[in-house]
Amino acid sequence: MPLLQVEHLRKYFATQKAVDDISLQVDKGQIFGLLGPNGAGKTTLIRMITGIFYPDEGNIIFDGKKFDPLNDTRYIGYMPEERGLYKKMKIGEQTLYLAQLKGLSRSDAMARIKTWFEKFEMESWWNKKVEDLSKGMSQKLQFVTTILHQPKLVILDEPFSGLDPVNSNLIKDEIFQLAKNGATIIFSTHRMEQVEEICDHIVLVNKGQKILDGTVGQVKQDFKENIYRVGASEISPNGLAPYEMVHSKAGQYILRIQEGKTPNDVLRYLLEQGVDLHSFNEILPSLNDIFIKLVEGTPNTRQFQKI
Amino acid sequence: MKKIWLIIKREYLTRVRKRTFIIGTLLFPILYMLMIFGTGYIAEKSKHNLVVAVSDKTGLISDSLVKLQNQLDQSSTLILVTQDTGYKYADAGYEAYLYIDSLDWQKKGTTSFVLKARKFYGANTPELVAAKINRIWDEIKHEKLGIDAEKRALLASNRILIDFNNENDATVNAQTSNVIGLACGFLIYFIILIYGSQVMMGVMEEKTNRIAEIIVSSVKPFQMMLGKIIGIGMVALTQFLLWITFMFVIYNVTAMSGGAANQIIGSVQSVFTSINLPLTLFCFAFYFLGGFFFYSAIYGAIGSAINEDVREAQSLSFPVTLMVIISIVLMTSAVNDPTGSIATWASIIPFSSPIVMMARIPYGVPGTVPYWQLALSMVSLVIGFILTTWFAARIYRTGILMYGKKPSWRELMKWAFRKS
Repeated sequence: MPLLQVEHLRKYFATQKAVDDISLQVDKGQIFGLLGPNGAGKTTLIRMITGIFYPDEGNIIFDGKKFDPLNDTRYIGYMPEERGLYKKMKIGEQTLYLAQLKGLSRSDAMARIKTWFEKFEMESWWNKKVEDLSKGMSQKLQFVTTILHQPKLVILDEPFSGLDPVNSNLIKDEIFQLAKNGATIIFSTHRMEQVEEICDHIVLVNKGQKILDGTVGQVKQDFKENIYRVGASEISPNGLAPYEMVHSKAGQYILRIQEGKTPNDVLRYLLEQGVDLHSFNEILPSLNDIFIKLVEGTPNTRQFQKI
Repeated sequence: MKKIWLIIKREYLTRVRKRTFIIGTLLFPILYMLMIFGTGYIAEKSKHNLVVAVSDKTGLISDSLVKLQNQLDQSSTLILVTQDTGYKYADAGYEAYLYIDSLDWQKKGTTSFVLKARKFYGANTPELVAAKINRIWDEIKHEKLGIDAEKRALLASNRILIDFNNENDATVNAQTSNVIGLACGFLIYFIILIYGSQVMMGVMEEKTNRIAEIIVSSVKPFQMMLGKIIGIGMVALTQFLLWITFMFVIYNVTAMSGGAANQIIGSVQSVFTSINLPLTLFCFAFYFLGGFFFYSAIYGAIGSAINEDVREAQSLSFPVTLMVIISIVLMTSAVNDPTGSIATWASIIPFSSPIVMMARIPYGVPGTVPYWQLALSMVSLVIGFILTTWFAARIYRTGILMYGKKPSWRELMKWAFRKS
């Protein structure tokens, strides 16, 4: 069942078609990757979903009803890419304030802050100011303020930038935990290795339009090039073989299977040749490769255009 | 509503608890007093006693007359010498030299002399010396004409005085009203400028700290802005009430100490009885808040449009600040002519009404300010600040998430009037 449905969303600025007819669907409990190069329109799309911008055209359906920014924002937690907190305000008070703005009562907010601060070992921060924190520390604080009100939809824009591996893992575990407890997560990034690790479903946008939509596994299958890695004693390139040799190096061979042939054909052929096999794996393209392949050829930076 | 309340509370508490607020609240009255008494004291101390050598060829001016006047009037010291026009007075230690060659007490009309000096000693030096010499000359003329001391006393004391009575507001004293009007006008002027720029800086801080995006994903920009303006307005009001409390305490302490202080107490009491105190206080609170809301909305919009650069803030806010300054100029003319047409219109139009109307009200309602003018002025100020807040909220919504180039006023207008 979808938590969020976006239908033909459009938002034009004076010189940009920032979001140009995007439709997508995010299911409950899903970890959804919103990918795209810089300036693709991700932030604008997110700002419409969080009620900051009104779309020029199109509909947003949130939890089965038409999205109502005034009341629904309390079910959404948003961590923008540009992090921001009041520098001069004490951390405890600030967290309390932001939680109350999201509609939590004072006592509820207090209880939850306590739990999270203990979990992240932040108890001693209460009377400190944000300006006293390091970048990684304020990132952790920002994450806590985003999810404190237990939103149904958590939107994280580049959540790991500036975090060391230990803290990255801490946040990553929390993301999985949130999804397990029923929250839906939209994860916007251009770091593909994280997407492969975390996301169930991805959408790739470029120049304001959706160019790819599917599960991580499906997308990889769709873009696979029938390339296999074979560990063997000696394989010689032969004109009759059902494959082409792409690469060979000391007992490791990369083969591309010819059109119409199957891995079984290759194995049979190799066995017939008396080759001593140790391993045989399919190489699926990485999301990084797919990303580059799809986005390549379009100008690196977005150009100004006439509307 | 609950969210606006939260924002108001935050804006208020973070400011009131700051050390600068506490210090500013305590220091401002002290500095203000220092400014008033200090300038008076310095002016008194820096008065120069000019030493003038006077050479009288006629012999009419006697040493005893000069001595008497030197005691009565200490703006200069006259010393009789017998010298010529070319007297080297500076070498003899005098600063100025007055040479009187001939004087006729029966002459109808004036006689001119020249006071020589080596440099300027204040613009009114010739008048002061002339007044002193004339008093001596009067003595001599009285004696020649046979007017004795008794007749002179009669001449001096028998004068005509004129009191003004505004039949509509019999108790109003024009001088007191003038002072109260000026004081109220200036206070509102300071509040608009100081707290208006606080609103601007507060919005700018949210934008540069990048917390704005988080806030506007929780509350509407309009609520955000309204909360901020009301919160900071309450800070201004708190500061004000504290000052009034200080004044009340000081007043009572002085009243109890008795003695010489009674004179001050008396004059303060006469001020309170001469104006309509409840009405003036109510109007002051109204125009103070109204003017603050009217202008701080615009300042808030400017704060949302600019980036970290303070110079951008200055160039964009200059036209707004100019309007406040023009109001204060109009106010100084209104306080002298509270029923003139400039004063009347400037006190109705919302741009200048908060400052100018407060200069007129102490003169009396409805005597000087008819009820319809007061009502029209208040209604248009309320409409005015609803309009500026609406206008500002629209600019704010666009500006708060825009980074990069500083927009011009023309672009701001475009943001305000385009359809959402």
